[in-house]
Amino acid sequence: MSHGHDNPLDHPEVQLASPRGYLVGYVFALAMMILSLGLVKSHALPPAGLMTVLSIIALVVILAQLYFLFHLDLSETQIWHTVALVMTVPLFIMAVGLTIWMFYTLHMRTMIPGLG
Amino acid sequence: MSSHSAESVDPGKVSLWDYEHHGHDPISTRTLGFWLYMLSDAMIFAALFAAYGVYVRNAAGGPTEADIIHPIYAMWESVVVFTSVFAYGLGMAALKKGNRAGVINGLLAAFALGLVFLGMEYKEFADLIADGAVPQRSGFLSAYWTIVLTHGLHMIFGLLWMLVMLFQVMREGFTQNVVYRLINLRLFWHFQAIIWVCVFTFVYLKGVL
Repeated sequence: MSHGHDNPLDHPEVQLASPRGYLVGYVFALAMMILSLGLVKSHALPPAGLMTVLSIIALVVILAQLYFLFHLDLSETQIWHTVALVMTVPLFIMAVGLTIWMFYTLHMRTMIPGLG
Repeated sequence: MSSHSAESVDPGKVSLWDYEHHGHDPISTRTLGFWLYMLSDAMIFAALFAAYGVYVRNAAGGPTEADIIHPIYAMWESVVVFTSVFAYGLGMAALKKGNRAGVINGLLAAFALGLVFLGMEYKEFADLIADGAVPQRSGFLSAYWTIVLTHGLHMIFGLLWMLVMLFQVMREGFTQNVVYRLINLRLFWHFQAIIWVCVFTFVYLKGVL
């Protein structure tokens, strides 16, 4: 794929923009956030179950935004952006997941209930 | 520049992504570079979310999550953030067609909605101060202020950048430098929507379960 260098507007990064994609991403994100708010307000599930559902909804919204707003896919233009994100995901899991797990178990093992 | 002979490779002249002989591509290299920067910025938020997860139960007898969090107000903030991001997206669709007025309108709409968001956040935190829910009150409040205001700070810098781009689009038109800056600002602004999904879900909604 060769693209023109005389006109920067011909660059694939510019031509990726899609009003329909932005609209889908916008409506979907808003609808899902309203759904999450409704689930919380109506106490549809016990807190632990609700938190799981909210996390799944957030993950789906983020994936949709990455696709519709950031145009991340496996095309030649975008593959390196996608690869960079995929390689960063383990860092997110380690930074957030392991930290919270570590402090949670630390709390469980040291703060004996009824004594504090 | 396009003659690649295997025996004479000058390290000073090899361009990293030039695997199809189409010369140096500043827009691609700069947007990929900025994307890598955004991923490191995301790691800052990862650290903040981890800290928030650890501190959230440490209210030290002060206001707890349920006392200070108003999810419906935050929902209106979500509407404003997502609409601002959508407006910027429409501006980028206008850029694709070389429509300068469309780009300027998209930037102006995104800018105005960003200001509305900051105004809402200002009111939210002014109320917190009035209630004595200041960051030094407890570990929970320190983490809460830091994570929400770090997102707000990103919004402020995005708005400053948008102001600069408005002037550059008007003065220079769609030169290569202006175009890659518009694409990078799109990455930055749309990234705020992703962070807001996490803040809304894991700070505001989780706080009132």
